[in-house]
Amino acid sequence: MTTMTMPASRSRTDTWLLVLMLWHGLLAVAGLVAVYVAFTGINGGLRFAVAGVLLVLALLSATTVPLIHRRDHRGRSISLVVNYLGFLTCTALLLDMIGAFTGIDDLAQRFGRGLPFLLISFVGYFIRSFGDRFEQFPQRQRSFQRVGNIIMLAGLLLFVLAIINFSGIPALASEILQPVRMALLLGLILFGVMFWAMWRQPVAEVMGVNNARSETLSGYLFLSPNFLGFLLFFAGPLLLSLYTSFTNWDAFGTRDWVGLENYARLLHMTFAQLSSPTQLATEVINTSIFDELFRFSILGKSFIVGAQDKLFWLSIRNTVVFCLIAVPLSVIPALLVGTILNSKLPGMKFFRAVYFIPSVAAVVGVSLIWQWMYNAAVGWINYAITSGIGAVNGLTGLAIADPQMRWLSSADTALLSVALMVAWQTIGFNTVLFVAGMQNIPKVLYEAATVDGAGTWAQFRNVTLPLLGPTTVFVLTTTLIQAFQVFEPIFIMTNPPGGPNNSTLSMVLYLYQNGFQRFRQGYASAIAWVLFLVIFAATVIQFRRQRGGAYEA
Amino acid sequence: MTQQAATASTYNPPRRSYRLRKAISYIAAYTVLIVFGVIVIFPFLVMLATSLKLPADTFSYPPRLLPRAPVSVELAGYDKPLPLYEIEVDGQQREMALVENTVRVGIYAAPDNLDATVTVPIDEVAPTGGADNQATATVDGAASPLFDVPVNGQIVPMVLINQTALGRFVDPENTSIETLANVRLSQPVSKLTAHPENYRDVLQLNGMSRALINTALVTLLVVLGQLVTSVLGGYAFARLRFPGRDTLFVLYLGTIMIPFVVLIMPLYQLMVLIGWTDRLAALIFPWVFTAYGTFLMRQFFLTIPREIEEAALIDGASRLQILWRIFIPAATPALATLATFTFLYAWNSFFWPLVIINTGNTNNHVLTLSLNVLRGRAADSPNLVLAGAAISVIPPMILFILAQRFFIESATSSGVKG
Repeated sequence: MTTMTMPASRSRTDTWLLVLMLWHGLLAVAGLVAVYVAFTGINGGLRFAVAGVLLVLALLSATTVPLIHRRDHRGRSISLVVNYLGFLTCTALLLDMIGAFTGIDDLAQRFGRGLPFLLISFVGYFIRSFGDRFEQFPQRQRSFQRVGNIIMLAGLLLFVLAIINFSGIPALASEILQPVRMALLLGLILFGVMFWAMWRQPVAEVMGVNNARSETLSGYLFLSPNFLGFLLFFAGPLLLSLYTSFTNWDAFGTRDWVGLENYARLLHMTFAQLSSPTQLATEVINTSIFDELFRFSILGKSFIVGAQDKLFWLSIRNTVVFCLIAVPLSVIPALLVGTILNSKLPGMKFFRAVYFIPSVAAVVGVSLIWQWMYNAAVGWINYAITSGIGAVNGLTGLAIADPQMRWLSSADTALLSVALMVAWQTIGFNTVLFVAGMQNIPKVLYEAATVDGAGTWAQFRNVTLPLLGPTTVFVLTTTLIQAFQVFEPIFIMTNPPGGPNNSTLSMVLYLYQNGFQRFRQGYASAIAWVLFLVIFAATVIQFRRQRGGAYEA
Repeated sequence: MTQQAATASTYNPPRRSYRLRKAISYIAAYTVLIVFGVIVIFPFLVMLATSLKLPADTFSYPPRLLPRAPVSVELAGYDKPLPLYEIEVDGQQREMALVENTVRVGIYAAPDNLDATVTVPIDEVAPTGGADNQATATVDGAASPLFDVPVNGQIVPMVLINQTALGRFVDPENTSIETLANVRLSQPVSKLTAHPENYRDVLQLNGMSRALINTALVTLLVVLGQLVTSVLGGYAFARLRFPGRDTLFVLYLGTIMIPFVVLIMPLYQLMVLIGWTDRLAALIFPWVFTAYGTFLMRQFFLTIPREIEEAALIDGASRLQILWRIFIPAATPALATLATFTFLYAWNSFFWPLVIINTGNTNNHVLTLSLNVLRGRAADSPNLVLAGAAISVIPPMILFILAQRFFIESATSSGVKG
């Protein structure tokens, strides 16, 4: 009664294993039926994927039966994998069917009511952690923790009560009672029970599991949520993107394989000699295919360059120009300010925090602020320029004319305006990175340099800069990669996005226009991959440089 | 102390120059820092100040930082409050009320002295000799009609040179002082005000309050979800040995550098496939599984000594218990760093919501999306647009002030050593 005898436990384990074998046999048969149903019931390429996965699972399930019979530990592993995947699939399908995922939209409505209680709970957490300051007074620390815990729990409880939709519970119950959902619920429970049965210690021992094998299974289990999500939302889409770039996929159901046509169209260029610099483009290039991109003269001869997709090359030009302005402007001042911040003057932490603020703010919000500051008539920037020029003229007697910049509404300055704002937003972040890099430089080197009589500038040039190499390369490449993907500030600040006159059309904006406004998804995917290759090249250069760096932090 | 320093500097000239140089470099350093600080902060000040202004106030030139509103007074005999203006009367600056907006006035001059003009309301002037038989004078070889113009109590015949409209101003303290002046060129008297109701208005406009709640919900779920998957995955990579672990880890590392723009197209197609377009779920689940978070947690877990864990294992604790009781409490700083990083990403993201959520479906808008709509809808009232910007910008800032250390750490952990 009180102690379980060995044979009884043994026989119970054997019973479980028998049940598991039966279960997997049944599962294999059901799986094969499901393969047939899926293959005949679903249209399109998806049926191969679904049927293939089901087939593999059914076969795996079938193989576990003899393995479990032989008490082979591989049988246990395969059984666990199959049951785990089955459990997850049933859960996901059931949640989807009862509208748990789409129900988040409705949850948001009630979430607002619960939000104050959630904040109360956060306050409780702060009170609790505030108690940690009184480590010398355990009494006080404990009372802080107790009060904090109570507030936290009460807040959470009220929050849950506020967001639960009580009136929806009967509806939910009646939804689950429908046959398909009941089947899924049953499947979920069965898969779960079978997983648990196989996982249990007594069964594991009989199946010949040692420490290493159990560690392997734990490893996969722990990694699985992340890895499955990674496959579903990252690796899968990545492959799909590559495939899409070779099709003429659009929003209306066309998705034919076109090979490299998208890439060819993007990169197709022509080149011709002109008899005079002003000769019409139609006379030398086939303007039914190509648009004139630019002309240039060399050694007294004039040439014309045309491209099939003029806007793509324009977007590349804009992106490169943008990077050439924004990257130096956000890296060089950051290096300068970082050097000052790295000195041991008082108040440096305060300044560092202040400089970091812009990188915390949403790009959309910041873009709106700058759009207003750039206003040509009543904006602060033009006012600063006007009064600055006025002051200089008054002091020196010169007559410098006010440039009357039109910033975002002029094709000449729009890209510059966006680049200035992006630089402003990035400097603080880069400064923090530089300071962190500088703090890794051993102080001994500076002391040695001082002994050798090196001044501030010499120290900066000969100690800081070379030893900061890896950080600099890192900052440069991350800033460059970010700059290459510029989209949000352009989309918000320029009107129409990319304007005026396509002067701020960036590569990502062009991708967006193609993919989501003209629904040329195949073509947009090709643009994405060209962009990726460019960024990839930058990253590879970074890794090369970092490996070859003089000093490893 | 001071005495010592003084003697030292008196008897040691090189030292003094060293000190001087140091003082100069300090001043230069702080000047650079403060100027740069002003550049960093000023746009946010503009945002806050403008968000408290009246629409008309935002367009005043030269631009003013602080919100000001025109002042008006109640005056006996007028049913509406009258706006006050700074008006110069007889060389004296007075605050005067505008009682009449458009008084038609004529500018008159004597025919023999066209430079000395007087400005008199047209209805105080009568044609010289009556309307039927108006006298004329020859000016520049042409006949101009003459008018009887009252000048300092006397009637003087004059010719009309020009007409305009002026405002009639009265000193509210002494209503006998009255003058005519150009309204548009006069400076209105204004006082410091604030209009926090802009925030209320903008929250009510196109469902921005709903957007705020949606953003909070999405951010909360993304942060929680990412913490869970990253802790589990990071623990597996850091502590558990299983075949293929290192290959998988290199694969994870490699994906960190794949830009999001490559994924946006296929992720959209995936969302279409599972029917999540226009749904908040699409803003949450794809961001719950990240290689970066896993990498960050793995790096942190590697620093926790193995002995503690082994002792717990011998005591019969399960892996999950070890993770919950030992690793998570020890990893609080790393968790907070990851949480702040994810918070910023989720709260500020715009491209993905723009693609996935329909512009018309305001119920599922997040703040950035709502701002994008607001910018078009309230283009003529920058005060509202910037109030909206403030609503999206201020919560991360508050969090930054509270948890500064973790923000800075999340910045530095993203690189430098990695």
